[in-house]
Amino acid sequence: MIKWWVNIVFLVFFSLFQISCGSRGERNPNHLIYWSSNNTQEIEFARYIVNGWNKKNPSETVSFQPVPEGQSSEEIILAAVVGKTTPDIYSNMWQGDVEDYAHAGVLVALDTLKGFKDFIYSRCDSNVVKEVTSPDGHIYQVPWKINPIMLMYNKKIIHHLGLKNPPQTYSQFDSASEKFKDENIDKDGYVDRWFGYSEVLVTWWQRFFDFYPLYLAASGGAPLVKDYKAAFDNEYAVEVFSFLRNLYANDYFAKERLSTRQDIFLSGTIATRFTGPWEISHANKFKPKGFEFNFTHMPVPDNHKGPVYTYCDPKNIVIFKTCPNAQLAWDFIKNMIEEKNDLMFLKMTNQIPRRKNLETDSLFSDYFKDNPKMIEFARQAKYVKGTDPYPNLTEVFDIISQEYEACVIYGKKSPQKAIDDAAKQVNLLYMK
Amino acid sequence: MNINSKKIVPYFLVSPYIIYFLIFIAFPVVFSVVLTFHKWNIISPMQYTGLTNYVHLIHDEFFLKSLGNTLIFLVIHIPLQIIIALFLAEILNQHIKFRGFFRAAFFLPVIVSGVVVTILWQQLYGFDTGLLNRILIFLGLGRVGWLVNPSMAMPSIAIMATWKNVGLYIILFLVGLQTVPKNYYEAADLEGATHWQKFKSITLPMINPTIFMVVVLSTIGGFSLFIEPYIMTGGGPLNSTLSAVLYIYKQGFFYYHMGYSATLGLFFAVLILGVVMFQKKFIEKDK
Repeated sequence: MIKWWVNIVFLVFFSLFQISCGSRGERNPNHLIYWSSNNTQEIEFARYIVNGWNKKNPSETVSFQPVPEGQSSEEIILAAVVGKTTPDIYSNMWQGDVEDYAHAGVLVALDTLKGFKDFIYSRCDSNVVKEVTSPDGHIYQVPWKINPIMLMYNKKIIHHLGLKNPPQTYSQFDSASEKFKDENIDKDGYVDRWFGYSEVLVTWWQRFFDFYPLYLAASGGAPLVKDYKAAFDNEYAVEVFSFLRNLYANDYFAKERLSTRQDIFLSGTIATRFTGPWEISHANKFKPKGFEFNFTHMPVPDNHKGPVYTYCDPKNIVIFKTCPNAQLAWDFIKNMIEEKNDLMFLKMTNQIPRRKNLETDSLFSDYFKDNPKMIEFARQAKYVKGTDPYPNLTEVFDIISQEYEACVIYGKKSPQKAIDDAAKQVNLLYMK
Repeated sequence: MNINSKKIVPYFLVSPYIIYFLIFIAFPVVFSVVLTFHKWNIISPMQYTGLTNYVHLIHDEFFLKSLGNTLIFLVIHIPLQIIIALFLAEILNQHIKFRGFFRAAFFLPVIVSGVVVTILWQQLYGFDTGLLNRILIFLGLGRVGWLVNPSMAMPSIAIMATWKNVGLYIILFLVGLQTVPKNYYEAADLEGATHWQKFKSITLPMINPTIFMVVVLSTIGGFSLFIEPYIMTGGGPLNSTLSAVLYIYKQGFFYYHMGYSATLGLFFAVLILGVVMFQKKFIEKDK
């Protein structure tokens, strides 16, 4: 009798043990697993690529799935790394995370693979290659797609304010803001419409849409972090803080959160916003009749000379070390990002492939003729930056964000003091 | 069934819970304690750091600030909640018209998702366009920076949390009120006691256990303040709504400081336990 119960208990525990200790076992080196982003357009693109590849290479196949649903794809990838259930190829890795994973030793150094360097130099500018090269000299990511942050503006409002062009410099932006405010003060004396809006939360990545692109624009693409030290304690960062602080102090930008309401740009509550090309399809779909918009570069200091850079929100492709055949994975990636597939990606997703000469390449010209607003982003793509190849960037942006809130939104600190304090904290962070 | 199987069967029957307890409660607690002596960012191997996390905790001004913010929330939220809940429970315990409707109506916010309530109140609290400020302007008063003024943001969240949770405590108080024997009130009526005297001398002492339960539940609920500041303010303005739990979450899941986050969590759990024990002693002594 006892034996019967003991057998059942043993069976239950043994099954649990088997489940918890289960592994993928020996992987077939001729079959790879690829995770894409989970937005609809990119899923379709990934399916198109994988189907094409599998048809051409029936003995070296790839199976694909979008990154599993979660609060964020970053969290899912982290969980997969911890659980050793990473895919072989992942194509939606934020550039700023790569260095942390590279430090943890979970990514394949791509420059060790045959044909990688030649291909990457033929696809990207040397600046881009430099940007994605880690301090240890290796490259762990393939620069793939970008969404440059630019100034989106309501054309009718700009014309109504008597401006021929959207504001390009800080003083033009201030003066347009002042005019807009004068026209929109209510009878009650309060402002209900603003020239622009940027999210006022201190969440670190919100600074990708205000401080960071403005800093890159003002400084000509200078780094935030260099040699494990803050590199932003300079006149450009102070100027950006001063410019933004002025916008809030004068009620040109709203201090309250407006992002949970209906689209404030399309409803005319704001005249401009700092955003990326994903807005185009959204705006075209939901804009009211007669609404016109366009994009221009980020505002720069009045004495700015040279090209205007911006942040490009780069998402790159990586190969995890769990991959049983890294060379095959690279061959698949190479196929995925070759010129004609980049065109297909552009058509299907309206995101910019990170390749040189995009706007002048004849292969892409028909697309830009059909999508004239995207040409602004293609032009801007020559002057973009991602993030610096250093770990702990989340904390760096969080430190900046804390000082941003104190200085820019609430005016509790001078711009110089806020930047100095942020730089000190970042230096301390990298000393630990 | 022989004597040995009689001994084993009960263990077998409770084994599902024991397995659950070991995997999902005991192991995480023990692992958290181990983590407090380590530095770990999840993807790299753990590094033993001794008491470094505890030393950091003592000097961490943001954590102290978050504790202060949580205390502000508790000081506003708990008394407000108890007073309003008790007052409404007392009314809803009378034979008033539409009593059932009002009881259901006050309970409704409790079952609405916290995220939905938070977004709704965010609209109401809007500085430039929110309904509350529109009403104030209509009345000829100035606007209030409900969520944009650092000294107003936490009280605003406390008011919202009170509105959200008060229905639950009304129900608890109603249960307490209905256990008070009616003959006590009848005796008091014969002595000519006023309503206030009856409330003070009969109702309050008789529902003391309910008050204790409400205080403990509110305290624990208040200490775990997270959704509201996470969604409404992100901990701002100027960290004035950075609650302790939000700070612990940020340390763990924004920066992946798992060891430090576990240290904060452990300290916070001990703190809550201490406060609840103190409340128990204080209220029981008072009784």
